Amino acid sequence: MRVVVKAELCEGNGKCEAAAPEVFRLGEDDLSRVLVDEVPEALLPRVEQAIRLCPRQALAWVGNEPPARE
Amino acid sequence: MTAEMPLHAGDVNLADEDFFARGEAHALFRILRREAPVHWNPGGELLRGWWDITKYEDVLFVSRHPEIFSSERGIVMFEPVDENQRALASQGNGKMLITMDPPRHVRLRRLINKGFTPRAVAVWEPAIRKITGELLDGVAGKARADFVIDVASQLPLAVICEMMGLEKKDWPLMFQLTNKVLGAGDPEYQTDVPAAQRGTADAARVTNNLGTMQMFGFFAQVLQARRAEVRQDLVSVLVDSEMGGDRLSDEDILWFCFLLILAGNETTRNAISGGLLALSEHPEQKARLLADRALLPSAIEEILRWVSPVTHMARVANDDVEIRGQQVAKGERVVMWYPSVNRDEDVFPEPDRFDVGRSPNEHLAFGIGEHFCLGAGFARLELLVMFDELLRRFPDICLDGPVERLRSTFIGGIKHLPVAFAPN
Ligand code: HEM
Ligand code: SF4
Repeated sequence: MRVVVKAELCEGNGKCEAAAPEVFRLGEDDLSRVLVDEVPEALLPRVEQAIRLCPRQALAWVGNEPPARE
Repeated sequence: MTAEMPLHAGDVNLADEDFFARGEAHALFRILRREAPVHWNPGGELLRGWWDITKYEDVLFVSRHPEIFSSERGIVMFEPVDENQRALASQGNGKMLITMDPPRHVRLRRLINKGFTPRAVAVWEPAIRKITGELLDGVAGKARADFVIDVASQLPLAVICEMMGLEKKDWPLMFQLTNKVLGAGDPEYQTDVPAAQRGTADAARVTNNLGTMQMFGFFAQVLQARRAEVRQDLVSVLVDSEMGGDRLSDEDILWFCFLLILAGNETTRNAISGGLLALSEHPEQKARLLADRALLPSAIEEILRWVSPVTHMARVANDDVEIRGQQVAKGERVVMWYPSVNRDEDVFPEPDRFDVGRSPNEHLAFGIGEHFCLGAGFARLELLVMFDELLRRFPDICLDGPVERLRSTFIGGIKHLPVAFAPN
């Protein structure tokens, strides 16, 4: 699974980095960046959490599909 | 007339401002969450009906689908049946950031959102600390004060006025006019109406209109001054901005100023006074915070959850849509009740417990999604600095008379809060 930050929406609130620091990093420009190409299996729940918590709805799975739930 | 407390969802009418003025709305929300979480609130001869949304998940759903739930047809619950009144009430629809839908909303927001990111906000901390210190020094000599008038209202007023580059002599006018516009339903602010007519729907309409007109008159002068000489403030940023190759029109800028001065004033004020009220009513939590100042950030989040200074935001359905099994028809209005979702039993354990250490605490006091509060960073910083300085200087501050709440279904306001700075 791949995740993207939509730059036109992100306002640097940093919720994503707090939820999954291995995947997101806030830059000097107050924009979040994705650090990994594919999100490792073990981090999927935390990325889901980041997507849920992002106040600006700036995060999305590529293709917009949520990972399959148990 | 005092309405009786309803026992069942069928009897709940959230248009009744008196429940809010008495601070009793939580009892109504509890009934709705249990019995009818998506509840049709019938209108009447004057108002069209609307859907009450009282559960957290449903507010997430509505807020995250601006393509289905539009802000352009007004963000307050009231939609007058009468054509003329409806036209008057919808003057600002589609004209402000908060009453605009994407894609235009995204473009307009990008013009100024760089001034509101965490980094941009942090730059203001020394100024906010200085203003707060001066305010508290100003009341230090007094034995008692009206906490709202003397303290809670003054910090947000000073900050938003500084951001917009307004001269200090005009700040009291801004306080007065924002009260008229957003507190229009409260007789205390209906000073343009003869005393005998205060408290009526007409009085509210007149007060709101006059306040709005005066505000536009005032900002028209500010705008003229900035067009003549650009400075380093938000109004100048707007004057200097282009959107899709076009400059913003005077009207666009005036509506933006109108939104900023209201949003900056009438919200944080009530979080500050509501926060002090909550701490005073929960002395064990206040003692905990005094003993462990590292709890301040989580205490601020809990205050925001507890107070929910903005009571509702509304949307209009662009299509037929189902929410929690209820059919909402195209054109119908849905009203998101923040105080209710912030005490949703499915999300917050023991929601009616005020807990300064609550974690996690993903409250929705600032909304979420497309219209997530642009000023959230400023509001949080103002609250942090205020409670830090206040509790350091006046750890014994206590209530010294009855709280007077605003008569409003939109702003969870406190008009007056008498306090004593040391125990009697
Ligand atoms: C504790 C204080 C505050 C609370 C509880 C609060 C709450 C909110 C809420 C609930 C919304 C609308 C969300 C929606 O429609 O989905 C909002 C929007 C907004 N707020 Fe705040 N607010 C606060 C302070 C501020 C301050 C200090 C400013 C300005 C400096 C501000 C500026 C705005 C603006 C401009 C919008 C419109 C954003 C948009 O439509 O894109 N707010 N706020
Ligand atoms: S939480 Fe959302 S808005 Fe905040 S930095 Fe991350 S992506 Fe950007």
